[in-house]
Amino acid sequence: MAIPLLESPASDKARGVRTPGKRRGKGAKDPAVIVLTTIVCAILLLIIGFPLFGLLSSAFGPKGLEVLGRIVSDPVNHRIVGNTMLLGLVVGVSGTLVGFLFAYAQVKIKFRGKRALHLLAMIPIVAPPFAVATAVITLFGRNGAITNGIFGWQADIYGLPGLTLVLSLSFFPVAYMNIRGMLESLDPSLDEAAAGLGASKLRVFFTVTIPMLVPGLAGSFLLLFVESIADLANPLVLGGDYTVLASRAYLAVTGEFNMQAGAAYSLTLMLPALLVFLVQRYWVSRKSVVSITGKPAGATEQITAPSIRIPILTIVGLLAALIVSIYVTVLAGGFLKVPGVNNEFTLAHYQFVMAGLGSKAMIDTTILALIAAPIAGLLGMLIGWLVVRKLKRASGLIDFVGMLGLAVPGTVLGIGYLISYNTPMKIFGLQVFPALAGGSAILAGAVAIVMVYVARSLPSGQRAAVSALQQIHPAIEEASTSLGADSATTFRKVTLPLIQSALLTGLTFAFARSMTTLSPIIFLTTPGIKIMTSQILAEVDSGRFGNAFAYCTVLIGIVLTVILILNVIIRKVVFRGQSHRR
Amino acid sequence: MDNLTAADQILAPVDASDFAPSQESGQVTLAALTKRYGTRADDPIAVNAVDLHIKAGEFVTLLGPSGCGKTSTLRMIAGFETPSSGHVSVDGVDMVSVAPNKRPMSMVFQSYALFPHLTVRQNVAYGLRLKKTSEKRLREEVDTALTIMNLMPYAERAPHQLSGGQQQRVALARALVMRPKVLLFDEPLSNLDAKLRVQMRNEIRRLQKRLGITSVFVTHDQDEAMTLSDRIVVMNQGRIEQIDTPDRVYRRPSSIFVADFIGRANFLDATVLTDPVNGRARVFALGRERDVEVHQDVNLESEVLLMVRPESVLLTPNPAADTVHGEVGRVLSAIFHGESVEYEVETDTGSIVALVSDPSVSDIFEPMDTVSVGIKPDRGWLLPVPVLA
Repeated sequence: MAIPLLESPASDKARGVRTPGKRRGKGAKDPAVIVLTTIVCAILLLIIGFPLFGLLSSAFGPKGLEVLGRIVSDPVNHRIVGNTMLLGLVVGVSGTLVGFLFAYAQVKIKFRGKRALHLLAMIPIVAPPFAVATAVITLFGRNGAITNGIFGWQADIYGLPGLTLVLSLSFFPVAYMNIRGMLESLDPSLDEAAAGLGASKLRVFFTVTIPMLVPGLAGSFLLLFVESIADLANPLVLGGDYTVLASRAYLAVTGEFNMQAGAAYSLTLMLPALLVFLVQRYWVSRKSVVSITGKPAGATEQITAPSIRIPILTIVGLLAALIVSIYVTVLAGGFLKVPGVNNEFTLAHYQFVMAGLGSKAMIDTTILALIAAPIAGLLGMLIGWLVVRKLKRASGLIDFVGMLGLAVPGTVLGIGYLISYNTPMKIFGLQVFPALAGGSAILAGAVAIVMVYVARSLPSGQRAAVSALQQIHPAIEEASTSLGADSATTFRKVTLPLIQSALLTGLTFAFARSMTTLSPIIFLTTPGIKIMTSQILAEVDSGRFGNAFAYCTVLIGIVLTVILILNVIIRKVVFRGQSHRR
Repeated sequence: MDNLTAADQILAPVDASDFAPSQESGQVTLAALTKRYGTRADDPIAVNAVDLHIKAGEFVTLLGPSGCGKTSTLRMIAGFETPSSGHVSVDGVDMVSVAPNKRPMSMVFQSYALFPHLTVRQNVAYGLRLKKTSEKRLREEVDTALTIMNLMPYAERAPHQLSGGQQQRVALARALVMRPKVLLFDEPLSNLDAKLRVQMRNEIRRLQKRLGITSVFVTHDQDEAMTLSDRIVVMNQGRIEQIDTPDRVYRRPSSIFVADFIGRANFLDATVLTDPVNGRARVFALGRERDVEVHQDVNLESEVLLMVRPESVLLTPNPAADTVHGEVGRVLSAIFHGESVEYEVETDTGSIVALVSDPSVSDIFEPMDTVSVGIKPDRGWLLPVPVLA
């Protein structure tokens, strides 16, 4: 029998250091895996890699370098960088604190109305970026219904204080979900052990609970930091003369028509965002002392002691009231002639948004988001599967690039798209594909918008898929292989049905994120394609708050409706079996 | 006997020759099979140059402690691991370049690995459907497999509605219906409770004999290996220690490791007195000269130990009257097991464990009793002490 040489030492070496046991069974000789990996890489390159490359080459071009030089030397630019970092720090701290209070009350304190509080904490996820800011201006601004109308103050909420308030209330759900997950997986026997040793509830809180949560708190802080320095919508509306890097880059592109300067400011913004993201991903997440076993860690004893219960519930209650008043304002504001000033009932705003000139935005946005969500959801599942099950060396890189859509500030991504895709792509003079972004692009730039939607909403599905797959025993997929299925068949017939809840999460977040995203879109809308978030910005800018509120309400309504329908379709029709874990 | 109903009988008495391989096939050959995790020279070698030839229709068990390389070996046969070097072939056809889903093998997993979103019938039909079998034929084949495994009453249930034993039968039916040349078992019984495990392994053995499918079975349970196998492959630290019938592995282990791992053994200091002739030699052990079978590596200069299984130790009362059997000992402890009594006896040679089956009430020794310790005829086995590297 002729015995061929199986593997050269070189390929053996290239496999990299592997931990025995942990990465067993990733024989990657399957042609389907190679094809799928190639497709995934090509898509990631198109939606993230290429725009970032375009941005970098523009920022490091001669004009971009000049601006970068000014950012280092010019005190005005120093202040902008300082403003950005300060905003990130303040919102990071306050948003984490709010998230912690909500999570702690939810998990540990006995009170009625937990479900309502939970839903309240989740609303900001489906709300467009201006809803809170506009409502806060209406309630607490110079002519605010509360500040001026009730107390007669001429409050100035523009600048850092207003931004802190609005961004904390907009972003705290991230911290809330993060910390709540950690609190729930904390083994209550630890609390009991400490109490058994004679520690009071307060002592248990400070010496056991808080230290166990430090990684979760740090992780939340970093995520909020990235979100708030990346935010563009609120600084535009509420910033006043408090300029941050995101709004400066926007001004450079849309006001000064200086793409290179935009790229340079974006780069300055991207560096700290990426750094913090990397720290969060590779350091904080490893420091976690909470062991997540996947099993419920027993029933948590709920705190009834007034010394803890009363102060926390008071603060949480006040915050909840604030959030309620804000969303009531959004809801009601759409029916008022000039919200906060002329409170006469009118249907004109809804008329405008749903049937009039503004309805194009509603339709365009929904269609594009509906196109992007399944692409992002499936792509997320596919990447998760390749990363967890199939790839060895490349898995870290692909996982990282997939997450970049979240880590890179939207402003940066939008400018990158503008630079890379507003002219036809040519390689050696041959047109590879036509312009995708900008007014002269095919389909009025809709392609670029869908691509941005996919890039922005991919990470949530990818994360959900990775954690779902890690809970499914690899033997189930090996059994399919052993019965003659190739990788693609296994993925379609076994894996996908088993991670359907992750797929649902992925689709839901993909749709919600696509509908609510603004910062990259603002650079990519064209006269031919109207997007709701950027229409809201236009309405707010021109002071037509009623239209803005109506848009916000309709947008929230569409998101909630689609999420509901998705739930029904996926649970009842596509996969009849129940999701099953190891 | 117990509370199993008729439907719970493991296998139906149906003629199962339907699933027998079409011709005499299913020879598996492993040649210098090696698996190294990691790339550095000092990384541990999981499987180290394993050579093994499995005959068509043979039932071979890979047995060893955890981390000995038995599972890695099985996974390389299945194709879930790529060998660092060496070969796997079936009927002379090299398998290393064949994708795992194209190999003529089916695997039964420790965790059963049933598809939780499919019914029992759909689970069993899964592989045939991929082969584009006609609907009529598919139904026949699946029905036969379900009938053999006595699963017909559960055909429309979801896996999580079945007991562990039933789930394992589904896994077996799912593997059998593919008519593989080779069946691979990855510790399939270790999740079952003790009684069911014994029942199931007897049924696996009977089915395998009937069908004549070549089977490779991985386990760390020596009882399973003993009762199931035509031959046992004992592995340790990535290497094969011994390939032999269960009887040989138990009675004539090739090394102290094997003797110690399979069953229990006393290792008694001994001195070789004559050069071995025809595998026998005279030794001095346990107080007197004895004629024993010796390992092939033993010679006059060897440092040796005499292996004696506890049930081969002979205890007799009245040592004063006994000069034939051996040494005088003192009973340290007596543990009553029911069908046997286990003694620990202290002698000049050292502490010896003896297992006396079916003792009469009057014969049971008490701690501190003095006894004479001997060895039943032809039970000792002389092993060389490994030279420490």
